[in-house]
Amino acid sequence: MISYKHQLSRFFVRMGLAIFTCVALGPVIWAVVTSLLPLTALTSRPPDLNPLNMTLENYGLVLDSSRGLFSGLINSFIIATFTSAVGLVIGSMAAYALARLNMPGSSLILMMILATQMFPGIVIAIPLFLVMSRMGIVDTHFALILVYLSFTLPIVIWILKAFFESVPMELERAAAVDGAQPLQTFQHIVLPISLPPLFATGVFVFIEAWNEFFFAIILTRINVKTAPIAIAEFSGQYQTLYGQMLASAVLASIPVVFLAIIFRRFILEGFVEGAIKA
Amino acid sequence: MQQNSEYNRRRIRMGIWFSAPAVIVLLTVLAYPILASWVLSFLRVYFAGQGLSFRFYGLTNYTELLTNQLFREALLRSIYFTLVEVIVVTFLALIVALLLNHPLGRHAFFRVVLLVPWALAPVANAVLWKWIYNANYGILNQALIGLGIIDRNIIWLGSPVLALNMILLADIWKAVPFIALLLLAGLQNIPSHLYKAARLDGANAWQQFQHVTLPGLKTTLIISIVLQSIWALKVFDLIYVLTKGSPADSTVLLNYLSWRVTFSNLDVGYGAAIANVLFVLMFILSLVYIRALRPRKTKEKVG
Repeated sequence: MISYKHQLSRFFVRMGLAIFTCVALGPVIWAVVTSLLPLTALTSRPPDLNPLNMTLENYGLVLDSSRGLFSGLINSFIIATFTSAVGLVIGSMAAYALARLNMPGSSLILMMILATQMFPGIVIAIPLFLVMSRMGIVDTHFALILVYLSFTLPIVIWILKAFFESVPMELERAAAVDGAQPLQTFQHIVLPISLPPLFATGVFVFIEAWNEFFFAIILTRINVKTAPIAIAEFSGQYQTLYGQMLASAVLASIPVVFLAIIFRRFILEGFVEGAIKA
Repeated sequence: MQQNSEYNRRRIRMGIWFSAPAVIVLLTVLAYPILASWVLSFLRVYFAGQGLSFRFYGLTNYTELLTNQLFREALLRSIYFTLVEVIVVTFLALIVALLLNHPLGRHAFFRVVLLVPWALAPVANAVLWKWIYNANYGILNQALIGLGIIDRNIIWLGSPVLALNMILLADIWKAVPFIALLLLAGLQNIPSHLYKAARLDGANAWQQFQHVTLPGLKTTLIISIVLQSIWALKVFDLIYVLTKGSPADSTVLLNYLSWRVTFSNLDVGYGAAIANVLFVLMFILSLVYIRALRPRKTKEKVG
């Protein structure tokens, strides 16, 4: 027995979902369509959306090495990969120490970690820029990886700590009774069952590092321009090449959007475990 | 117990070793620069050839801020931007989260839809909106003209108040999904038996929302609001790509101003002072929220 009122509410939910889908995807789809159209189709009114006109020409043009996007994508890949790998290794160790190893001063460290979410990047960017220029490491991958660790490490530690705390203590006690050393317990008991949250945080860090713009614009010059920098420069220099502008934006977004979709379960669970329960 | 102590000592020692790398990284790339930027804000920094020279400047950087028109405007605009963004994003994200938590909205498809704007690079997002807002060929003008709402093209990023609000709109679009994700996770943490009990007591949908959903979501809502206001205060990429602060500096917000003063005007001390104002602002915000979070006794996890 489905009441009239019940059906009405279902109707509104359906409509809401439809509107939500259109608003969320509309701009993205428009970006993809734009990137596939030649300039003449975009500048005619109304835009000529004939699918027969669609071409990959824009993509070919923006990937030309003189445009800097290709090397930008490679730089972003190197930086994001190293940031998430290093972040996971040292972050998971610290998280485990905070969660389980009766660390002295662990609550202080936790407060520090929380505090890192509360300050603007510009505060650390200015002194870091001065120090790094003096050391001559501005415009290196290393500088950006180090800086990206500063704001991703706290998240890694925070999320993984919440997860490690949820690992049943009995499991670790049992291992200890069997004569396992703490390091062995961590390696063979805790880490293997932590793969999903490790993956989730890894993907999260990768996306953050890949997308980062603010530090990249301060700490890069020529050699390690990342993909976001390349896109921003492109949109400033060739403002009227709309199709190419959007093609470069789409290219830089494809890896992270697909990562997010493929690992959505990990990411969503990571949020549940981390952000909310912490 | 006695035999445990050797094991425990080993655990503590391992704990120190385990957290050392992370602590060292955080100290060098966080703690040191934060302190240094305070010091810098009391200095005047000169670029002398290759090197730098510093002179003690007292509070001059800060007093200059107080009398600087652009700084005051940027501060007010940042506050406006943050307030509107937090209110609108939280409201919209709550609706989205409720929709996706409804049996009809649980399909994985909608989760994917939600993740797409979130994962998009902020710069790609900015480029996308730059194209949508394009005065001559942008889809926004074409759509509004097609619908008969406006009769000629509007230069969306051409006039002060409008430009700021268009940046706000693009930022809101990007921010809603993440907050919706958080709220969705919060919704799923509310035990379903609470709803069952409420229904048995004859509560209608609105009453259930008021007395079960909202209280159950309180912590998550506060977390969302904190994070959202911090992000809104930090907005940079959109301004950089869409307007570079124009027209007539009307879209210069604090973070952008601090960057421009430091890295374009090379007035490092002054830039650091602005950065620290932003820092204090965020810090106060977070304290307010943490306080708001406290009174309810949810101290389940201690130690």
